[in-house]
Amino acid sequence: MGIRAGFDRLRERPGTVVDTAALARPLSAIEAREASVADLDDAGLAAAAASVPADDLVEICALGREAARRGLGQRPYDVQLVGALAMLAGHVAQMATGEGKTLAAAIAAFGYVRRGSPVHVLTVNDYLARRDAEWMAPVYRALGITVGWVTEQSTVDERRDAYRRDVTYVSVSEVGFDYLRDGLCLTVDDRVQRPLATVIVDEADSILIDEARVPLVVAGGVEGADDLARRAAAIVRRLRGGSDFERLDDGRAVHLTEAGLRATEAALGGINLYAVEHLPQLTAVNLALHARELLHRDVDYIVRDGAVELVDEFRGRVALRRRWPDGLQAAVEAKEGLTLSAQGEVLATITVQALIGLYPTRCGMSATAAGVGDALREFYRVEVAVIEPNRPCVRVDEPDRVYLTTEDKHDALLAEIRQAHEAGRPVLVGTLDVEESERLAADLRAGGVPCTVLNAKNDAAEAAIIAEAGSLGTVTVSTQMAGRGTDIRLGGGDQAGHDQVAALGGLYIIGTGRHDSGRVDAQLRGRAGRQGDPGRSVFFVSLDDSLVLTHAGNLVDRVRQRAEFDDDGRVPGRKARRLIAHAQRVAEGSNAELHRNTWRYGYLIERQRRALARRREELLTTDAPARLLAERSGGRYESACERVGAPVVDGAARAIALFHLDRCWAEHLAYLSEIREGVHLRVLGRLDPLDEFHRCAVPAFRTLFADAEQRTLDTFDTVDLSGDGWSLADAGLVRPSATWTYLVTDDPFGSELSRFFKAVLGPAPRES
Amino acid sequence: MLSAFLSAFRTPDLRKKLLFTLGMIVIYRLGATLPSPGVSYGNVQQCIKLVQNGSNGVFSLLNLFSGGALLQLSVFALGIMPYITASIILQLLTVVIPRLEQLRKEGQAGQAKITQYTRYLTLGLAILQASAFVALARSGQLFNNQCDQFPAIPQTKIPMWLTVSVIVITMTAGTGVIMWLGEMVTDKGIGNGMSVLIFTSIAARLPSEGWSIKTSRGWPVFALIIAIGLIVITAVVFMEQAQRRVPVQYAKRMVGRRMYGGTSTYIPLKVNQAGVIPVIFASSLLYLPQLALQLMDANHPNALYTFIDRHLIKQNDWVNITVYFLLILFFTYFYVSITFNPTEVADNMKKYGGFVPGIRPGKPTSEYLDFILSRITAPGALYLAIIAVLPNLFMGLVGNNKQNFPFGGTAVLIIVGVGLETVKQIESQLMQRNYEGFLR
Repeated sequence: MGIRAGFDRLRERPGTVVDTAALARPLSAIEAREASVADLDDAGLAAAAASVPADDLVEICALGREAARRGLGQRPYDVQLVGALAMLAGHVAQMATGEGKTLAAAIAAFGYVRRGSPVHVLTVNDYLARRDAEWMAPVYRALGITVGWVTEQSTVDERRDAYRRDVTYVSVSEVGFDYLRDGLCLTVDDRVQRPLATVIVDEADSILIDEARVPLVVAGGVEGADDLARRAAAIVRRLRGGSDFERLDDGRAVHLTEAGLRATEAALGGINLYAVEHLPQLTAVNLALHARELLHRDVDYIVRDGAVELVDEFRGRVALRRRWPDGLQAAVEAKEGLTLSAQGEVLATITVQALIGLYPTRCGMSATAAGVGDALREFYRVEVAVIEPNRPCVRVDEPDRVYLTTEDKHDALLAEIRQAHEAGRPVLVGTLDVEESERLAADLRAGGVPCTVLNAKNDAAEAAIIAEAGSLGTVTVSTQMAGRGTDIRLGGGDQAGHDQVAALGGLYIIGTGRHDSGRVDAQLRGRAGRQGDPGRSVFFVSLDDSLVLTHAGNLVDRVRQRAEFDDDGRVPGRKARRLIAHAQRVAEGSNAELHRNTWRYGYLIERQRRALARRREELLTTDAPARLLAERSGGRYESACERVGAPVVDGAARAIALFHLDRCWAEHLAYLSEIREGVHLRVLGRLDPLDEFHRCAVPAFRTLFADAEQRTLDTFDTVDLSGDGWSLADAGLVRPSATWTYLVTDDPFGSELSRFFKAVLGPAPRES
Repeated sequence: MLSAFLSAFRTPDLRKKLLFTLGMIVIYRLGATLPSPGVSYGNVQQCIKLVQNGSNGVFSLLNLFSGGALLQLSVFALGIMPYITASIILQLLTVVIPRLEQLRKEGQAGQAKITQYTRYLTLGLAILQASAFVALARSGQLFNNQCDQFPAIPQTKIPMWLTVSVIVITMTAGTGVIMWLGEMVTDKGIGNGMSVLIFTSIAARLPSEGWSIKTSRGWPVFALIIAIGLIVITAVVFMEQAQRRVPVQYAKRMVGRRMYGGTSTYIPLKVNQAGVIPVIFASSLLYLPQLALQLMDANHPNALYTFIDRHLIKQNDWVNITVYFLLILFFTYFYVSITFNPTEVADNMKKYGGFVPGIRPGKPTSEYLDFILSRITAPGALYLAIIAVLPNLFMGLVGNNKQNFPFGGTAVLIIVGVGLETVKQIESQLMQRNYEGFLR
């Protein structure tokens, strides 16, 4: 490490990473211990693991290495131990694909368990949670610690059991939903989680950055305006683009024109949509229009088994239990003519970032963490440690091939794939969405190139398809699904044809367009070149790609006019490549800005949520509800106790108090989201929107506990406790019987502050 | 406001921020009084006293912004102005130069580069300005040639070119330090660093100017000025917060909506939507006739010369006051129409599904906003103009230079503006820590 780099790290300058030389220092000591640890019998190993001091990193790694040898039959490489040491130091370890992150995490988890802390290993989906837990189970068994896993299908008892293990593998959404549901329990025994302690985050950049702003939501069913959604969908279906509605260039907003508005109003019976009393109709029309124009089937969602399933924009797979917020889901369902699912009122919510923030100790691993090192430091105070690969990567990454139009690009792609296929080389084609993957596969087959498709629609066959993706002559067309977390071995799953494929140059990765994030590109490239294998990667892009049009639309015409291009429409110049890179940086920048904004606004809500959780804990576990009634119900409490006995009254008091607290919180959340959607208008009066948000949110929360108490007293005054088996329903209070949990995707209207700044205040100098 | 600071001081991390800001201010003031090497402190003080009662044109505004450091030729003589100028220039260039526009769009990383360019430009401007002022000081023009007997930069054994270079380098470095101080305040302290430093500069002059009124005019006038000052400040605080709230509703959520009658979502239209800018524009424009005079032949005055000399540049003359007043009215409307474009606001609302209840989106909305804005700007413009001309009316009381009147015009507008902004920020941070709000 140069002096310059050291100085930069001292100043915490952007782009700096942890010094891995220091992390690797114990390696020789660990190796020295190897022989004596190997002499232990299995019981002796477990006993040694149980007694090793928490700060003896050498012994922990030595025992971990031996346990892996016995449990999995493989000796962890030095770099895997360095990865484990980085995680034990609280860093995010960047390790390339195929380097064995999972095993490194298991050794780190062992270290944390020795520190007396239960460990959650967060994965990106249920499949990985279960696979990794079962895969690593022998290692943990050898070390004498317990391991469990949670998936969506787990029952309450299974969950409780899994969370009581030393190490729990669970997807980030499940752990969040369990946390939220625990926060709505009416008795202590209903809870499944222990207090959150240590988290090891797999695919850290994806969970901690890309998904950070996604809220996890517990909702209760309410009556939805189904009829309205259907009518709106029918009306909007008849409108014509251009004359009746306009789309904005950036593809994030659409609105009715004057003519479209008149047609809509006529269809709704000649009402004035902008009169206050017709707000529901206007909302339904807006949502229907958004669903029709801005959300595309087989790009943003797929329809399967009569239901709309969202496609995760970063991973290309179906996002389980993810929904659009605030009635947009129903609008899409109405557009597709499906049964409308119930609309939900938000009962409790937490963002992924806030959830991770609840763990006192956090660390993680990823193949592409360094790119978001600054953001990780800003939002989570963790550093990235870049671990060198075990064998250097010899993959060849070609510069982008830029084409003038989509058609040129498509033709070139077909030709390139055919050529590679004819040479027998395995090809993995990464497309941007489901629709494109299917179109490309159809064209390939028509041209006589057999290929397999992997996308959100056939995710069940994923493991089998990936196992074969590296075999001789295979062409796999995939979405981003074949990015993160898939391990493609040359020559197929058993690596039988490894050397033959390697001689042909290894796996050939072809991307059909750059993604919104450079890290997703890097993940796709990373499928080739594992453990020193040869490989090649290239991206085909065109000036018509939506990335370019959306984020650099104002520049593309100039580049197009001046571009020199070959007969096949290829633009060889550097200018075009720079334009693509610029568009991607703009996309990354606006994503980061969105993240930062969500974080700034979420900060206060998170504080309030924690205050509420403390208050709820008090009501749930102490006699606070009974005391409240004894003090303030004017003798009714005592008389009720005499009639039906104190335990019944106390139980009822607790249930009523919790019910009202939860109600008030749900209403508060609704109020906050209402402020949030319009608070950016305050900049017009030279006010800081964030400050203004606080000025609304803080007083509203200040009265919340008192309101809940007052409502508790009011309910208690009218309730009749004399019957046996009193329940909330007897008091006319109904908790939502069906609660369900889901993730909300991005705010689809993209009400972004910065955009507004630029639109409204941009041209004029701002007052200092 | 006082209770704000008190409760802020009871919160540990806010106390840290406040103390940090105070520390930065102390350093800033220290540098503002520290003379540059090679400058004769005694001579400069003599000169300032000599020109105290004379108008020295455009420098008085610059001197105001630098907290009196400019005329003292101190280390921080240039104040925060080069930084402000550089930021404005870069904002302008961003519109003109595509490459900067691209950078700006690339989010934080691009912004960081633009900030870096702003810093370089600041230093460039600082070198230019420092050289200009040193040259002016050498030739005596800085003090209107009224004190040529006390050279600000006297001859010594050290060669003049070396002394001058050292002063220029010192002032440029000083500007760099100020820039850094400002950024540190924004980063780790309270409020916007630039604003806080300007506030400090202006506020720092109040006591000495107040005192000079006392020494020259005695207690009764001093008391009167203080009383007027308090009334003016109260009025300004009141007017700066006055706003008309145009309710807005967003039609994009079907569930979870509680009806609040649209009170939480609104466009605040301020009575003084333009801020202090029109006053600065107007007073800069009024400096032009003075420049014109210098170009004309003073020995053979014509009618125009006489008019300008007798009426237009005399700050207590009714012609000057009327023109100043009208210019402010004009610039207020002009500036508001530039910064608040009702069509753009209406379009933006339409884009995200917002509307003013009962009013259709697009043209009807923009017309409605325009109507309200032009009506509310009328009292706003009058208020600005009155506050700005107040010092001119009271000039008889305090001597010939209106900047010496401590409680009027630009100074009080800026002080109150920055003060309110900073207090609001403190309050917001306090509120996050669940303390009682204090500014209703």
